[in-house]
Amino acid sequence: MTLIDVRGIEHSYGTVPVLDDVSFGVRSETVTAIIGPNGSGKTTLLRLLAGLHEPTGGSIDDHTSDGVRRIGYLPQQPAFRPGFSVHETLSFYTSLVGADDDEVIARLERVGLEQAVNLRVDDLSGGMTRLLGIAQATVGDPPLIVLDEPVSGLDPQMSLHVFDVISEIAADGTTVVLSSHHLELVERTADDVVLIDDGEVVAHGSPDELRDELGVESLLEVYEGAVTGSADAVRVRGEHA
Amino acid sequence: MIATVIRRELKTVIRTPTFALLTAILTAVAVGIAWFGGGVRAGYVPTTVDLLTPFELLVPVVAVAFGYRAILGDRRRGELDVLATYPVTGRELVVGTYLGRAIGLVAALAVPLTIVMVAIVASGDDLIPVYATHRGADSPILFVRFAVLTVFFAATILAVAVAVSAIASGTRSALALAVVLLIVLLVGLDLALVYGFTAGLVGDSTLIHSLAISPLSAYRGLVLETTVSVAAGAGPRIASPVASVVGLCVWTIGSLAVAAWAIER
Repeated sequence: MTLIDVRGIEHSYGTVPVLDDVSFGVRSETVTAIIGPNGSGKTTLLRLLAGLHEPTGGSIDDHTSDGVRRIGYLPQQPAFRPGFSVHETLSFYTSLVGADDDEVIARLERVGLEQAVNLRVDDLSGGMTRLLGIAQATVGDPPLIVLDEPVSGLDPQMSLHVFDVISEIAADGTTVVLSSHHLELVERTADDVVLIDDGEVVAHGSPDELRDELGVESLLEVYEGAVTGSADAVRVRGEHA
Repeated sequence: MIATVIRRELKTVIRTPTFALLTAILTAVAVGIAWFGGGVRAGYVPTTVDLLTPFELLVPVVAVAFGYRAILGDRRRGELDVLATYPVTGRELVVGTYLGRAIGLVAALAVPLTIVMVAIVASGDDLIPVYATHRGADSPILFVRFAVLTVFFAATILAVAVAVSAIASGTRSALALAVVLLIVLLVGLDLALVYGFTAGLVGDSTLIHSLAISPLSAYRGLVLETTVSVAAGAGPRIASPVASVVGLCVWTIGSLAVAAWAIER
């Protein structure tokens, strides 16, 4: 069953076009990974899916059921109010959906952060902050969670742990859409991959389908085969014809 | 929902050393002026007169300090985006943030005002214990009026500061906007009223109502009209209390509406 239908969406920041005719579907209870070069429009697409922006063209058909919270969201650089403990921080968010204190511990246990319950958020490592952000994204049991580069800047072991947590969340029945540059972890975890280049979808399918389609061995080779342009320079959408 | 946001703001206020420092400075200044100015020995209204002018400057500064980063911090950390996915509206967030900070601000004002009042009770000569039954007599009720009006004025400036925190995109722009705001509120609007009066744009009959346009003039007018004039006896009207209260309410509600619009845009 398709949970989200993205139909020909376009988005511009002023006169700068970022996304152009982007279409794909997100299947329910799966992990969909958005991959692509820096500046290709991944974050904008995720913000559109999270309802933080309105597309300037096209539509996003949302088939999520009505609940206390429709979508959970993890920003690219999650941060929390300084001086607050992990427990206080998550307790604030659970209170917003009417959940009690038991819910706080349950969410922390789900991401493996229960030992850090009394730590101040200022004292958390980058990986722990990301895990707290993921715990926050699942508060209220939204049917869809959107994670913007959940392992950016993390060491391999922590990245692996974060992706394991994401797999467990999806296995429990939550649909996950994430962006990442860690293609090995994406290949291992994602059910579907949407490859974006220069604001357009250049490939879409399961990792197996994409590999078979291009006759290559890995998602990295799919990426290299599908993404155009020089690796020596960063392209910026809207600054070239 | 609003109660949850209020609790978070209160915790932030309690844990921010700057707010405690501002309270201590305000207390030292208020007690110092009241004591060394001789107000505490003269009575409640003389102390009110002593404190009014310094409070016209200090209270807005403290109120702006309490509010100018209230919503900006959430925006810069990306928490406003996260909160947009929760069942809490921008309006609820603004009201909760404002009330939480306002409770802290009231405490910051209550400390110096309470200490000054206790000092008057302990040091004053021939003071009326509770309420004067005749116009022209000093009374603790008049000082309580001054305290309530000061809190009202501070709450108004805090609302404007919260609006600044919702509009600003960075700490520097918030600080710059806050400074501009203080200049406009403390000097600009009063100068505009003076110009309007001398240029004939504001007539003699409408002047006491026009003062309500400026929160500072509204506060000053309210204190003089409902506290000082009561004890000093009959004289020309200094301000319109009703217009002044309406003026402060419009500034407060209008500023919170701007803040909610800025979050939801």
